[in-house]
This record gives sequence, structure tokens and C-alpha cells, in this order.
Amino acid sequence: MNATSLIARKEAGELLLSQRGFAWLMALAAALSAFGLLLVSNTELSLLDNAQVVYAMVGIVTALGGLLALVVGVDAVAGERERGSLIPLLLTPVSRDTILAGKLGGVAIAWAVMYALALPYLWAVGSTGQNLWQGMVVLGLLGSPVVLGFGFLGMALGARLTSARAGLLMGLVTLMLSASPLLIGPSLRQSTIGRGFDAVNPFSAAVNAFDAVIIDSQTILGQWSHIAVAAIWLFLTLWLARSGFRRIAR
Amino acid sequence: MNLATILLAVGFLLSASVASAGSLSVDLRAGSGNPSAPQMGDNLSFHTVIRNDGNAPIDGLIAWISLVQIDKGKEQPLDLEDWSAHKAVTEASIAPGQTLETDWPIRLIQAGEYRVVVSAVSRHGAGLVASPFADFTVRQKPVVESLRVLPVALGLPLMIGGAILWRRRRLYR
Repeated sequence: MNATSLIARKEAGELLLSQRGFAWLMALAAALSAFGLLLVSNTELSLLDNAQVVYAMVGIVTALGGLLALVVGVDAVAGERERGSLIPLLLTPVSRDTILAGKLGGVAIAWAVMYALALPYLWAVGSTGQNLWQGMVVLGLLGSPVVLGFGFLGMALGARLTSARAGLLMGLVTLMLSASPLLIGPSLRQSTIGRGFDAVNPFSAAVNAFDAVIIDSQTILGQWSHIAVAAIWLFLTLWLARSGFRRIAR
Repeated sequence: MNLATILLAVGFLLSASVASAGSLSVDLRAGSGNPSAPQMGDNLSFHTVIRNDGNAPIDGLIAWISLVQIDKGKEQPLDLEDWSAHKAVTEASIAPGQTLETDWPIRLIQAGEYRVVVSAVSRHGAGLVASPFADFTVRQKPVVESLRVLPVALGLPLMIGGAILWRRRRLYR
């Protein structure tokens, strides 16, 4: 087993098999369960609401995934530094890129577990409606780069800022701002500023693609502009994480 | 019925025939492939034939589809945004005797009783020309089934909770 996968397994194991990791999964499951149970009692739902349920759940999973990735990302660098375990790790005969790749792999595994946990919920609420499978695919295709990007951003902030708390605070503010399209809806984003924000915001790109595919039945391949924004976000945050990680202890 | 009422009714009939006699007629029929008892999620199609029965061309024709719900207590016109992407058709000019045939697909979003109508106007026409109504009923289809949601919504947290307890027991053993 190479160093990258070893570190990735250690990171993911610490996250998912610890009490803290189980608590994360429990929190996600509780949030999605509460959402599902609220829907069961509603007898006035139309078929459109069914698609909107899937759309809303996909958005919630992406937001919770971004939150998880951000916290894990900050903790993977700033948290380790505060616990005094980062410098010993950097002194091992492994390149920094390898260590970083391992930590990124840990975030990716955590997101994959979250994604897998969300699938039964999506099936439960969306199997009688439209575009369920497309919704699952577009969550993987657009949600993954957005979520992983927040993990990479967390690492970049953890590497650059002096404390984990400061990194976490800045990351949370960024996440809340970015995820605002989930709350304010498309009609309120039609101003010039709103459209400009939408054009560069990866969360908007994901939400708009979810809307187009799940509710408006558009093709996934037709979402290439949204996929491009999410991909740019992923590579930008990866670059930030890499450059920040290289600066540590210089 | 008194004479004034009869005269008023005749007046309305005459004015209506003048409006449609403006030479434009709209015929609306349900598609032959439509399900006999449609339910939520099904697709229906309606076919219109707009004809210029006059001697002069009709310019700037616009025809659009409208849907109203007629369930008792829920009477309302519906926003077609979610029901159809094909809400209107335009034609620069229709020559005398010429027809414009259009298919109007609809995706059934909500259960209920509905009437669909296609209306047409032209740039210089005297008034609105409406097709006959086409009525249909959409059967309810379960949207979020409790039999699917409950096992997942209750089962997964219980499984994770069980895993937490198992993990704690192993740690403290």
C-alpha cells in the first residue's frame, strides 16, 4: 500500500469509525430522516412537489457534505498542527504532495460515504416521481466537485491561518455565502449582482444544474457550463490547498 | 324568460358569431394516443387546427393554450410552466383556406378535473377566438409513499445508533 492511500485510509478511518464520525453520520441521517418524515404526512403533494423534494434533498446533502468537508479540511491541517502531530508527519520521508493527496483522499472517502448514505433517502422520497436516477447522477457529478472543493478550501485556510478556529470561521462564512442560493431561490437572484454571483458561485452552478435536471428534465450533458464552474472551483481550491500546504513550517 | 333577456342573449350570440366569423376558427381534439384514465405523471397531447375561413390573409397570429381546474372548491386557472414547455404558437400569416396544425403536449402534474382550451388572436382581428373545451380528469398517484420512507427514515438512524453503541461497548471492554 503506498503512502497516499495509507494516509487517506487513516484520515477516513479517524473520521468515519470514531465516535465523532458516527455522530456526523447520525446527524446527516437524522436531518434526512426528519425531512422524509415531514413529507410522509403531506397528502397534498403534486407530482412536481415530488421532483422538488428530490431537488431539495440533493441540495441539503450537498450543503451538509460541504460542511463536513470544510471541517475535515481545516482539521486535517490546522487541527493537526494544534495537536502537535503535523510537524512529525511532515518530517516523515514522504513528499508533501503525497501527504496532501492522502488527506484529500480522506475527504473524498468521507464524501463518498455521505453520498452512499443519501441514496436510500433519495430513493425513498423520489422513486414515484421523475428524474430520480438523473438526480443521483447529477448529485455525484456536480455535488462532488463542490463538496471536495470546500474540503480543499478548508485545508488551504488551515494551512494559511494561524488557528483552526479562524480557518473554520472563515470557511463557514464562505460556505454560508456560497450556499445562499438554497435559501433565496432563483427569482431573487435575477438582479445584475445576483446573476454575477450565480455565474461564479460553484454552489449556484450545482443548484441550477439540480433544478434543470431534476425539475425541468433537461439532459445532464446540457449542464456543461455548470459543470465547468464546479470544475474550475475544484481546481482553484486544489491549487490553494497545495500552495498553502507547501508553505507550512517554511 | 322575458323579452329583454331573450334579446340580450340573441345579441350575445350574434356578437359571438361575428367574433368567430372574423374568418378564424380553432378546432381542438384530444390526441388519439392519450390514456383513457390518465394519472399524475402521464403525458397527454391535444391537437388544434386553426383555419382561415375568410378571403383575406390573417397576419400576426398568436395561439396559446390555457388550463383551468374545475374541481369544486379548487376552481382556478393554472400556470402552465410546470405542465408544458409548449405554451404558444405564432404564425406570421395564414392565407385564405390555409390551416395551422399544432400539437400541444401536457405533462400531468396534479390530480383533479381540468378543462383545456386554445385561444387565438391576430394582429388586426376583431376579437379572441377560442376553441371548444377539452375536458379530462387526472387520477391521484401516491407521491411520497410512507411504506418506502418509513423504513429508511427510521431504519438508517437506528443502524447508525446501533453501530455507535457497538463501537462504545468495544472501546470500554
